[in-house]
Parts: sequence; C-alpha cells; structure tokens
Amino acid sequence: MAAAPYIELHAHSAFSFLDGASTPTELAAAAAECGYPAFALTDHDGIWGSMEFAHACAGFGVRGVTGTELTVAVGPRVLSRGRGSSSSQAAGEDPIFAPPAGEHFHLTLLVEDAAGYRNLCRLLSKAHSHTRDSPQRAAGQPAVSLELFERHAEGLVCLSGCAGDGAVAGVWERGDSAAAAGIARRLLAAFGRERFRIELQRPYWRHDRARNRWLVGLAERLGVACVATGNVHSHARRRARLQDAFVAVRLGTTLEASEPRRRGNSSSALASPQAMATRFAEHPAAVAETLRLAERLRFDLTAELGYSFPGSENPGADRELAEVCRSLLETRYAGSALSKARDRLEDELRTIRRRGLSGFFLLHRDLLELAREVALEVRGDGSVRSILPPGRGRGSSVSSIVCYLTGLSHIDPVAAKLFSGRFLSDEVDENTVAPDIDLDFPRDIREKLIPRVHDRYGADHSALVAAFPTYRPRGAVRDLGKALALPPAEIERVAKTVGFHERSGEIERDVVAAIGAERAAAHGWQVLRGLLDEAMGLPRHASQHPGGMVISTRPLLDVCPVVPAAMEGRQIVQWDKDSCADAGFLKIDLLGLGMLSAVERCVEEIDRARGERVDLSRIAFDDPETFESIRAAETTGVFQIESRAQMQMLPRTRPQNLDDLTVQVALVRPGPIQGGAVHPYIERRKRLREDPSYEIPFEHRLLEPVLRETLGTIVYQEQVIEVAMHLAGFSSTEAEGLRRAMSRKRSQEAIEEHHDRFLVGAVGANEVPLEVAERVWRQIQGFSGFGFPKAHSAAFGLLAYQSAWLRINYAPEFLCSLLNEQPMGFYPPDALAHEAQRRGVRLAPPDANRSQVQCHVETPRTARRRALEPELRGGLVVRIGLGYVKGVREEEMQSLVAERERSGPYRGIADLASRSGAGRDSLERLAWAGALDNLLGDVPVIGGPYGCSITGTSGGGRREALWKAGVAGTGRRHGEGTQMALPLDTPGGPALEPLGEWGEAIADYRSTGMTLGEHPMALMRGELGSELARSTDLEKIEDGATVEVAGMVVARQRPETAKGIVFMLLEDERGTVNLIVPPPVYDRHRAEVRTSPLVRAKGRLERREGTINVLVSAVVELERSPATPKSSPQRERAVAQLRTVAPAGHSFGRRR
Amino acid sequence: MRPGLRRLYAPRRVAVEVDPEGVPRAVAGVAVAALREEWLVEDRWWTLRRLWRHYFELALLDGSDVVVFRDSDGRWYRQRA
Repeated sequence: MAAAPYIELHAHSAFSFLDGASTPTELAAAAAECGYPAFALTDHDGIWGSMEFAHACAGFGVRGVTGTELTVAVGPRVLSRGRGSSSSQAAGEDPIFAPPAGEHFHLTLLVEDAAGYRNLCRLLSKAHSHTRDSPQRAAGQPAVSLELFERHAEGLVCLSGCAGDGAVAGVWERGDSAAAAGIARRLLAAFGRERFRIELQRPYWRHDRARNRWLVGLAERLGVACVATGNVHSHARRRARLQDAFVAVRLGTTLEASEPRRRGNSSSALASPQAMATRFAEHPAAVAETLRLAERLRFDLTAELGYSFPGSENPGADRELAEVCRSLLETRYAGSALSKARDRLEDELRTIRRRGLSGFFLLHRDLLELAREVALEVRGDGSVRSILPPGRGRGSSVSSIVCYLTGLSHIDPVAAKLFSGRFLSDEVDENTVAPDIDLDFPRDIREKLIPRVHDRYGADHSALVAAFPTYRPRGAVRDLGKALALPPAEIERVAKTVGFHERSGEIERDVVAAIGAERAAAHGWQVLRGLLDEAMGLPRHASQHPGGMVISTRPLLDVCPVVPAAMEGRQIVQWDKDSCADAGFLKIDLLGLGMLSAVERCVEEIDRARGERVDLSRIAFDDPETFESIRAAETTGVFQIESRAQMQMLPRTRPQNLDDLTVQVALVRPGPIQGGAVHPYIERRKRLREDPSYEIPFEHRLLEPVLRETLGTIVYQEQVIEVAMHLAGFSSTEAEGLRRAMSRKRSQEAIEEHHDRFLVGAVGANEVPLEVAERVWRQIQGFSGFGFPKAHSAAFGLLAYQSAWLRINYAPEFLCSLLNEQPMGFYPPDALAHEAQRRGVRLAPPDANRSQVQCHVETPRTARRRALEPELRGGLVVRIGLGYVKGVREEEMQSLVAERERSGPYRGIADLASRSGAGRDSLERLAWAGALDNLLGDVPVIGGPYGCSITGTSGGGRREALWKAGVAGTGRRHGEGTQMALPLDTPGGPALEPLGEWGEAIADYRSTGMTLGEHPMALMRGELGSELARSTDLEKIEDGATVEVAGMVVARQRPETAKGIVFMLLEDERGTVNLIVPPPVYDRHRAEVRTSPLVRAKGRLERREGTINVLVSAVVELERSPATPKSSPQRERAVAQLRTVAPAGHSFGRRR
Repeated sequence: MRPGLRRLYAPRRVAVEVDPEGVPRAVAGVAVAALREEWLVEDRWWTLRRLWRHYFELALLDGSDVVVFRDSDGRWYRQRA
C-alpha cells in the first residue's frame, strides 16, 4: 500500500460528550482500515477517552497521538472590538484562582513528550477547576485563560484551532481579523515556530476558501507552517446524523432550532488519507505538514506515564509487612491450622516481595486504619457499633491471608479453603496489573472517609475514578425524541415502556405497544429508531465511580487531569476504571454497601430498643431457625438471596450451612447460568440428599479436584482459571490472561481468543476427548457474563446469613433498619412493610407526637405515657419516621422532634405550628400523611372503599388536620430559619367528609410511598369477581390448573440469560405471586407488563419442588379487565388514582 | 402557501456545464472565470423533505458573481448570492 499522504491530527470521539458520535475504539479501527499510520484524538477539554484510544490504536497497529481541543477564554483587551465579557481581568492578573473571563475559543493541543503531557494534564485540570462553582454544583464550561495557556507551552504542539470556534479562525469568522492575527502572534511567541501551526480546515462551509486564504497569508507573514486537519466527529458517515442530534441534545433544543450550531453536512466523518489530501488539493504543503508534525508526536500514553503509588519506593516495606502479618499469625491460628496458615502466609509474602507489592498492602492497611478513626467518630465511642470493624473486604482479595491478617478481609481463607491465585498471581508479564482490593463500608462511614483520604494523601495526590453513563434505550428515547421534536407525551409513554437494555428490534415493538402502530409508523419515530441504534452504548457525560479511588506518589494532575465532582469535596480523574487499570494506577475501591449500613443500624436499634448488645461476628452461624427460613425462601429483605430467582432456588438447593450459602450467592449469576451450572448443581444436590453414596459425574477426572465442592459445575470465577490450568495445562500467566478477559467490557470476544489454546492443551497434551473439551469450553464461555470469585461469595454469603439471622431474631429492628437505608435491595418499602405485617411485625404510621425523623422501634420502655398506649402493650412497633413524608424539610422535622423532646408533646395543631419550627408546607404534608391525626382529638370517622360513606372505624381526620394546618401554619421561612406562627387556637372548621380507607390508602402512597392500612387489593376484592384467586389460594390449587390472579406489581425482571422471558412479582393482601411471562405473551402485552402498577393475569399454575409460578397467557391492566363484572365508573376512577401514586415496582433489566 | 404570495429569491432552474469532477464550467452558457467558494448543505434529514445541496459561488467571464447549487437529483439551480 502506498504511504498515506495525510495524517489526521484533530478528531473528536464521543468523549467530547455530545460533540462526537463514535467511541475511541471505533475511530482507531476505522483509522486502521483507512490506512492511517498515526491518528490524533483531540476531545474537547479532556482526555477521558485517550487511554482507551491509545490501547485500541496499539491493537490496530496505528500510532495514537494524545491531544485535546482546549477551550480558552480570550479577554476583551485581546479582542480588539472589546466584545463579550465585561470582566476587567487583564493579562498579568493571576488567572489561576478565578474563573477565566472572556469569550471562549478553541485551540488544538498535541503532546510531543512527557513534559508536554504533564502540561496538558495541568491545563485540563485548571480548565475544569471552576466548573462546579455554582451553588447547585451544576457542570459549567471548562476554560483556561489565554495567559495561563501560554505558560504551559513546553512539550506541546499548538494548532491555531478549528474553523468555527478556533482562537484564530473563529475570531476571523466573527470579523475581527486584527485580533485573530494578534492571538496568533501571542501563540507563536509562547510555542515558537517549531511548535505552533496555523490550522486549516475544510468543513464545506460557505467561507472555507476565503478563510483558508487569509490563514495561509497570516502564516506566511508570521513565518510558520500551516497544517491541514479534518475535525473528525464520527468514524463513519452514517453517524453524522447522530452527531447533529447530539448537538441539539447538548443545547437542550430541537434539531430545527440548533441549525446554526450543527456542522451542516456529513463531511466531519472520517475520510481516508487520500480523500483528505484531495480535499486540501489547494494546500499541499499543509497536507505534507501533517506527516512531518506527526513524526514528532512520539509520546506514548501506554508507556510514559511515570505513575507510582505511595509506599512503592519504601525500601523497608517488605520487612514491615512481613512483621505485621507474622505478629498476628499466632493470635489467629493454632494447631494444624497454624502450620497451614504459616506456609500460606510465607508463600504469599514471597509473591508480594517478588512483585514489589509490599508497599501496596501497607498503603491499604494505612487506609483501613484511617477508616477505623473515621468509624469511631461516626459511630461514637461506646456505641454498640464501635465493636464492629470499620468495613469488610469483598471481591477476590478476601482469599488472601495477608489481607485477613492486616484486617482487609474478615474471612479466614484457610478455614474457608479460598484459592488466592485469582487475586495474587505469581506470574508477572507486561500486562500484569496490581491486584484489586475492594472494601465495603457502611454508607455513613464511607461518606466521611472519602474526603479524609484526600486530606491524608493530599488533594493533589488522590481522586475518585470517573464513570461514564452510556446511552440506554430509555434515556436515548427522551433525549433524541426531544431533539426530533416528537410529542412529549408520546416520548414519555415510549420511554416508560422500553427496557433498560433492549435491542433495536425490541424497541420497535415497544414503540408500537406504547403509542400504537399508526403513530409508530410516523416518519419521526422511524428516524428516532435509526438514531437509537447508533447511540446505544455511547458515553453521555462524565460521572464518578461509586467508590474507586486512585492515589499517586507524584501529584495526580501530572499523570491524569483531575476535575471537581458533582458532590462537594470530591474530585475525579478523567479516566474510568478500565483506563485506570490500563494506566497501571493503584485503584482502591471504598464502596458503600447498603446492607452493611442496615445491619449496623439494626444492631444499634436492638441496643436502643431492648438494651441487648449483639456482636455479629459471634452469633451462632448454624441457627436452625435461620436456615429453615432460608430453605423456605422466607428471605424478603435478606442480603443477596431475596430476589425472585433466589427464592425460587432456595427450596430446591436447601442450604444447610455457610458453605452452601457461599455457593448459593454465586450460583444465580450470568456466568454460572450461561455456563449451564445451575440445573446440574440443583439436581446433584437433590440426588446427594436422597442417596449420600451418589457419585458426582465429572466431565473429566482431571476436573474432580477443582470442581468437587460445586458438584462438578463451574460456579466461581477462579474455577475457570483452575479448570484451564488442570484440563488444558494453562500456565499461571495464560490463566491470568483468561481471568482478565472475563473482567473486560467485551469479554465474550476476549475469552474466545483463548479457545484454540484451550483445545490444544486439553486434547493434545491431556488427551481429553474433543467433545468433552468443547463442552467444558462452553461452560467457560458462560463466564463472559458476570460471575463471582469464591472469596467474594464467602464475604457476601456471610452477610446474607447475618441479615437472615437478624430478620428472624429481631424482626422489628431489622425492618426498621431496612426502611431507613432505602433505596436498597429488591423490594420497595411498601412491599417490605406488607411482608413484615404478614409475619406479625407491627408498624405504625408517622405521628408528630411519636415519630423520630427516621423510622424507629417503639417499646413500652421508650414510649411516653405508656399507660395510654394500648397498642404498645403487645411488644415492639416500628414507627414510621417523619422524614418518610415526601417533600418535608429534614431540618424542620429535626427541629420538630427536638422541640418535642425538650418541652413535651404537642397539644394540638396550633401548638405544633407555634413551637415546632415547621413551615406551612411541611405541616400540610404531615397532615396529608396522617401524622397530625392524633392532634385533632376525637374525630367521628366514617369511611368505606373509595371514600363511600359507609360506617367504618379508620382515622378519617386528615382533611380536618389539613384544614387546620393551613389555618394555623402561618410560619414563614426566612433564609435559614422559620418565623413561627402565633399560638392561636384554630377556629372550628367546616364539616369535612372523612377520606375513608381508600382515600387514606391513596394519601398514604402519595405522601410516604407506603400504606400500613388495608391493602388496596383487599379494598377492591369484593368487586373483582370470585374467579380471581388470592396468592394463598394457589397453594391449594392443583398443578396445571388455569388460574387468574391480580395484584400490585412489586418487581419486574427480564434477565439477559432468560431468553426474553419476563418475571413479575405481584402482591395482594395475603402475599406474593410469581408470574412467568413468555416472549409471545410479552409481545402482545408489552405496555401492561412494562408499565402497569396493577395487573390481572391469567395462566397455568406450575408447582415444582416447593415453588409455585403462574405461566401467563394474558395480562391486562386491572381496571380494564374484561373478565370482571361490569366495572363501576367509581372503581375505575379510584383505580386510576391509585395507579398514579402506587410505588413503581422495581424493574431489573438486562444486566451483565 | 396562500394564493397571491410567492417566495422571494426562490431558486430557479439553470443550465450548468460541469467538468469531470462535477465543478461548473459554464452557467447558462457563460463560462466560469473562477471558483470562489464551494460548500455543502445537508439538512432536515429527519423530515420527509430532506435537503441536500452542493453549492458553488462562481465568478463568470461576463463579470457577474453567481451562486448555483446541485440538488440530490442532480438538477441545477441558481440562487441569489
């Protein structure tokens, strides 16, 4: 192939965030296909995608050039007409500590060497340093001043900027040629002739030739060279439309209205070097200059970062780590376990020394000590939580004895027989990265710990890892639908119907289901579907990783730009976890785990309510009642084993101990499911229960030692590695490659690269029959989906048991802690509350004289006026907190509770309004939630379904409370406080009809998202027809019978591994019903399945090994059910009301 | 459009001779002296009336300055500059 006549030095990927429509990998692949020997990525104000690009380029044989298109603020003194900002900032004023003022223009920067890269990172960090200064911390426009820009020229090549907004061409376009020439002179002075170029572009706009003629003339006058660039915005022409739509999305407007800001045509798609040379036929010298310049841009991002972590250079680290571990060994182990543990420790220490990782472990230990300090502050000295460790290990690091001894893991890896090869490989090659140590913390500790890490290591040396939310169907429909000016109501209907991870064919069916075939066929919707196909998976904006932090010996902003995060006190590097791993950064995961917070809260609540101090590390780990509940799938709210899928499996696997729970946690994951492990495992457990002499059928005798504990199936990630080593003779390095392939984004392709090697090793070296080797390979392939290492499962299995134990032994406190930690888990609060009520746990609604801000457990001991509290005599009651009422101000509720504690209960609504510090809005919301009912005195109550005037006994004074709160609540908020209302008695109100049970249920859902009174299905039951079965009736109906059920949708799931089947969980007044919706039924009833909060379903009852499902043949919205007797308009109105306020069932889409 | 109203400066069909690269050589029989600008407009692709126009601003031998464009059907139009 002839040498390329042109090299692209200006290109944007989707990491220019809504100004680029291809991934860095797509650009690299297209560049290779077009024959580019080198290619530069120059995203706007960042290098978010540069590491991915550099590695992709290396893979495709293209030399990746690192760069950016930086926004520069040019002040009024530079712009000769004095346009733009009225800021008085002038050259010479310190531009570092103030947002740069002036008009924004672009300059292209390309990295020549390591010094240039350092300057690029510093410039980008400065550009972003003021982007979160607004009170709401909304992202602002990054920019640096021209003066600051000029001071960071070393090692960078500067191109004069793009045709439309470039600091030279853009200023000329605006008619200010003198200022444009002046800026060019300043840039020449800063960068010199060697490293400054006038940039020519040919976007096929009206004034291209005139502009380029002027720019060439300017370059001649300045004595600098011109260079041609393409300002690429997509890797292929078909993405040009998406680029147009992204511009509209970025501007928050429509395609029609964004015309002046769009590129105008598709010429910004990547073209071949030959085509680009032809495009610039009038400027051959500028084309040739691309080659000369690219030759100098030799900085290699994959090799020249110069990163190290604190402690890596400590010469005494090996000795220090060994001493710490050895000193603790004998306190943790005795007898034969001690000798095993010692051997294992010395083995690990040897590997750690060899890989130079002692400092890495000491750094983590140091972090844990820091966490211990933070935990003490957060929990308080002497609290029952203070005896708990500050956090827990998760992930593969739990298998390490060094982690166990240094406190980084709470699982004994010797006792649990954990294999550490997945975590700490002895084999090292150029691709080997530092192992991952993940730590889980309760949320409150983690919140405080992250800023403390910044304090400990310095804000310049630590930052969170970035994350990039990508376009998924729902968000894409909303964004792109608005850009296309489609009707907002239709957009919303479709957005609610489409799934989180759907593919284009399915989206098309969803659109039809949501808005009908006729509208779906409209041109605009057809265009949208085309755009959706292209947009899926592209990054939309930058965000922060849940807890991944990087720490560096050198200032971080010399190795990667650091930018402020949306949350105050936090900052992020511009790379996500994959790029950080590729960069060799030490990443520490400080993760917040809701269940860890919940169990700690629970322990605290037990202490407060009962005066019992529970140490979760010393509870009985073989409690028969706890395991019986697990085997019966009574696990609502229990960590990891509460999902519908887990509940279906528990009665069949029948876990007996913690080891079984470890398997259980790992089993319901895409890896084992796709690898075909689940059914053989269940079947073999059953056979073993029936016949203890049953022999496990292994695919090959070589697999027996590796897969014995999981009955011949591959359940854990490290078993994949062990199978590859035992069956196919993989070396540790090869196995490590396979492990890494499992962890990558496109793991399927990455795993497949090992296929041939696996077959050759298994069939050739170990004489495994080919068909057996292929079968085992298919099981390994399954792990392209997500799987757990055993160590991680052991850590999670333990927490699953602890949460199940708390649920059984301290049910009110456990429920209370779950409610306070929302959102978390599989069930919304309403479903958690109803399930607990069915088990006899008593709940009480919010009450201004009884509730705390958060939910708490009331006891006769803690409740005031206990003689007057008959409902407390029977035991503990979970009281819903005032903070659960939607829309109230937290500080007002804190003030309300504090005043009550200080001066006694409120005597009425007027008293409450005058003393509590709550404003009228909050008081009205409390009234509507029923929290002021008990301040009304005796209220005659009548009520019935849907507010009919039927005599009843429910508290119906909410309307009166609302009226009184409106009259008495004259407090006004002023700045930080509330001017309280005068303590005047409220006059008697008008006669108001009580809400009735139905009305109260609606009000409950609207105000707290849950109702503690009669279940809506119970209130409707009388009108639904006798043919409708209740959830508890299903136990008595024979297998295979046709049944009809109805209820509120608690959860919907459409797992990737289930071949299009949708699982729904309905709740009625007696329990829950599992629905299985096959694909054809789903296709017919998409909208109902996806969006209806209340449904009625017909299908065949299926009973299997203790589980009951309904295989659905039809689903309808409850109020439209054709099978019901003639429905009353009153009921339809009532159900429609409920539909608008019922808690949205959790939807779990296709996930990896 | 209502009866009696007409668009101002509406493009009008014109005869254009082109060279092998598709660049105009003559407009309405008058030879092109110089190509001043060339640009491309691709717009309204999301509607049923997509716009694709390849524009040329030309200096003709008779001293006039004209703007012509070719549409997606290959037809040539003259438009006010």
